Amino acid sequence: MSAELQILWAALLAYVAAGSLAIGALVFGKRPERAILALLVLGLALHGASIGLRWQRLGHGPFITLFEILSSNLWSLSAIFSLAYWRIRAIRPAAAFVMPILFMMMGWLFVTHPGEGHFPPTYRTAWLWVHVGFGKVFLGAVLVAVSLSGVVLARATGWRGAGLARLPADERLDDLALRFVAAGFVFQTLMLVAGAIWAQDAWGRYWAWDPLETWAFLTWLALAAALHARLAFRIRPPLGAAMIIAVFALAFLTFFGVPFVSTAPHKGAI
Amino acid sequence: MNALASLKLTAAAIALFAAGIAGSYVAPEPALWAIAAPLVLLAVNLAAAIVRHPAFRRQAALLVFHLALGALALLAAAGQLMSLKGRVELTTGEAFAGQLLEGEHGPLHLQRLHRVWFVNEGFEIDYAANVKRGETRNTIRWRDEAGTERVSVIGDQTPLVVHGYRLYTTPNKGFAPVFTWQPERGAARLGSVHLPSFPAWHNVQSAEWTPPGRARPLTFTLHLEEPVVVPDGRWRLRLPVRHRLEVELDGARRELAPGALIDLGAGRLRYEGLTTWMGYQVFADWTLPWMLAAALLAAASLAWHFWARFSARPWQEEA
Repeated sequence: MSAELQILWAALLAYVAAGSLAIGALVFGKRPERAILALLVLGLALHGASIGLRWQRLGHGPFITLFEILSSNLWSLSAIFSLAYWRIRAIRPAAAFVMPILFMMMGWLFVTHPGEGHFPPTYRTAWLWVHVGFGKVFLGAVLVAVSLSGVVLARATGWRGAGLARLPADERLDDLALRFVAAGFVFQTLMLVAGAIWAQDAWGRYWAWDPLETWAFLTWLALAAALHARLAFRIRPPLGAAMIIAVFALAFLTFFGVPFVSTAPHKGAI
Repeated sequence: MNALASLKLTAAAIALFAAGIAGSYVAPEPALWAIAAPLVLLAVNLAAAIVRHPAFRRQAALLVFHLALGALALLAAAGQLMSLKGRVELTTGEAFAGQLLEGEHGPLHLQRLHRVWFVNEGFEIDYAANVKRGETRNTIRWRDEAGTERVSVIGDQTPLVVHGYRLYTTPNKGFAPVFTWQPERGAARLGSVHLPSFPAWHNVQSAEWTPPGRARPLTFTLHLEEPVVVPDGRWRLRLPVRHRLEVELDGARRELAPGALIDLGAGRLRYEGLTTWMGYQVFADWTLPWMLAAALLAAASLAWHFWARFSARPWQEEA
């Protein structure tokens, strides 16, 4: 096994330890927050080193294969969530609701072939970085909102564990989740704009309703509808939380499903 | 008026818009009305909300965001009416004279393609293992708006932009046998037959051409007598040094060497040699920079709105 894969598996172990600790802390009402943050940072450092080694070997960033896209998104989602975990202490127990999503991505990454792909000429542009960067911030922001929504929904089902009791009231979590979703909406808008600029010169058209464009726009509309619905219908926190999770699910499928199912030209890698 | 200006209608119209897009995506024939009708409803809803709700008018950033989205939709519609999309193929050394091989344009497109002039001076394309195409470098000679002749290299992310048109190289390119057609009367003309795109169709290097005055076409087939494609390694697309060009005429096959003549009754065809051709995509839409400006304005005003709203009160405090 190559060094970059050994380092990646070590990073995944650190993430799994952080996640397990976060779930255990929520269930048993403990607060090993420093240890969780340290493990997350360790995982990020190891994971970043693994991505860097692969980048150096192949001469291009993690943009092409499913393995690379899963790995780089796992890193960016973990990084954005870790940043939120570090900066907003009051919501730290909510980490337990994000870790299963990251575990799922890790499992998927574990069974994905780490083979290399061809870096197409249409990817030799700064717009790749801008488009992908905005996309990662969008998904990361919505992921943080999902962690808060998980708490709200868990409470709505009647679960009042010790860990959950420490968290702010549902209305406050709902307000914070809305802020992350709003930030995600801005970054998703920028992602679509950057993608259109890239597409114009990569494929000679800025928008062609290919599967990835269509689903990305549907995700944008779903977010817009969710934001309007919150204003129009005075939605209670559990329903608002469910809507955020639905938007995240749609975004997740668009990011990781459509590019690898579609046979159209714009499929993540051509 | 209240119903037209309501946020409930907005949410419903967005849902209808999404349903229209999803329906058009899965339907074999996309229905334009399924997308246009919710958009019109959203425009009416926005106009009514601006008139009806002073609070909406007072939130300048939110208002600018919605107006920018409206401008974006209008510009996209204008682009559909006035844009042009097409394709053209040029043999190396051939000048583009304003004629598209095929294309479509909106009913209000201002045709200025005849002003575009450029010559394909040849291209270089490197391939990686498993016939993965790399960068395309196509040298062109072209005239700018002032009529000054220039030489540039275009390809992939770099189109030729002139007279409002954007001309892109495409993955379609290949070999082209060049001929001189000398009719019984009149001047001789130089032309070429574009063989199928290479290396995508490397096993089917045949194309037909019907000379003037003949009912049946001639079929030209190129046989490569050396490996041009290197499946397992890096290689550069180039003209084959050793090749045979075969022509099928009325059921009989004949091999052509450069300089060979074919007598076809209405004229004579002389094979001049083998060169390459490049396919270009042509695109024109004057709305592009305005759409970009509207989209960036929308994103900036949205960010401004959320920042102003959320920075006014910490999330831990009651509203």
